[in-house]
Amino acid sequence: MSGGITIEFEELAKRFDMRVVFRSVSGRVGPGEVLAITGPNGSGKSTLVTILCGLVRATRGTVRYRAGSDGEIPRESWRDHLGIVAPAMSLYEELDALENLRFFALVRGVRDAEKRCRASLERVGLDPERKTQVRGFSTGMHQRLKIAQAILHDPEVLFLDEPGANLDPAGQGWLEELVGGQRRAGKTIVLATNDLREMEWGTSRVALSG
Amino acid sequence: MWRFLAEAGAVFVKDLRTELRTRVAFNALGLFAITTLAAISYTIGPYRIAQADRPYLLSALLWIVIFFAAMAGLDRSFVKEEDSHTAALLRLSARPLVVWGGKLLFNFVVLELLMVILVPLYVVLMGFQVLSVGGLIWILLAGGYTLAVTTTIVAAIIARASSRGALFSVLSLPLLLPLLIFVIQGTRAVAEGSAQGAGSALRAVVSLGGVMTIVSIVLFPAVWNE
Repeated sequence: MSGGITIEFEELAKRFDMRVVFRSVSGRVGPGEVLAITGPNGSGKSTLVTILCGLVRATRGTVRYRAGSDGEIPRESWRDHLGIVAPAMSLYEELDALENLRFFALVRGVRDAEKRCRASLERVGLDPERKTQVRGFSTGMHQRLKIAQAILHDPEVLFLDEPGANLDPAGQGWLEELVGGQRRAGKTIVLATNDLREMEWGTSRVALSG
Repeated sequence: MWRFLAEAGAVFVKDLRTELRTRVAFNALGLFAITTLAAISYTIGPYRIAQADRPYLLSALLWIVIFFAAMAGLDRSFVKEEDSHTAALLRLSARPLVVWGGKLLFNFVVLELLMVILVPLYVVLMGFQVLSVGGLIWILLAGGYTLAVTTTIVAAIIARASSRGALFSVLSLPLLLPLLIFVIQGTRAVAEGSAQGAGSALRAVVSLGGVMTIVSIVLFPAVWNE
């Protein structure tokens, strides 16, 4: 697919039973752009991310993925184009890092899976030969592995929900480089964060009031 | 088709690998089956049933053990994904039918492994004479598949519910009751060496399995995604 993907969302509202999470949120993010979603705890940043990636349906409003000359991408195909890091999404704790990535590569039909998995692990600073199950990882290593999983298939859209959580200063610096590199490569990035430094990466911003 | 098989195979291998490292389903199924078998063989044994009643009663008891063992362990396939917060990433990575295919294969293999261990033990401990061993193998394969395909879709439906244990049994029972009747009839027929009876029971079991497969293929994407 050429030209990258633009995500447009209009008048989004989400309610769980009687609790209104947010109402009337609109925005747009295109290739080479970073949309920063900010707001206090409980304002619905993660909920908005799950709606934008197609995991949860909004109570009201629309989300569209547009792919340059190819037009609108149907909702059931969104998963083919996106990678995601989110605190509520875990990897398989009984598998080691390489086994986890190999699994996600195979179900995504990634070519040269073994090579790509090893390259992704090395890119986030994890040893592909390490046979420790993920349950034995530190929270920082866990986060690095989640990021490796998200970029494994070189997606056109990257959702990063608190990506710097649990990363040490070196890891945060490396994450900044990664986001910058993805942006220069024309990827569409949605970033949900409360971190002032991460907010600076955004080229546009949606602020949720809570 | 090859792509589907490769992707579903990856889900199966992942489930098998995690199961071999945690043994949650293996322990639940195995312990239930062995405990029940031990209790039945101790209380009833091979000689406390009249010869004329043996084919029918021993067939019924065999499938009751298999059925309840399946109820004890096969709901784990989807519940574990939800409990360990891996389901969301799986939804965003794999096509729904790939997940269904992998989970179905896993449940089928676990059930057949259980039968490979349980049935010979049952035959020896209960003195269960089977005149058509080949027929019994076909009944166990077809019955195992239908049991696996039904429990897989029910497990997917109940995975996000709060009282899952009770729901799994309550939803499975009406769907599996016809299967239970047909497999018991089929096992009785193969025990007595009745090719005609075994054939008609086997056709019914295969038909049920086919219907449940089609229902699952239609239903699963909505159950999994919504």
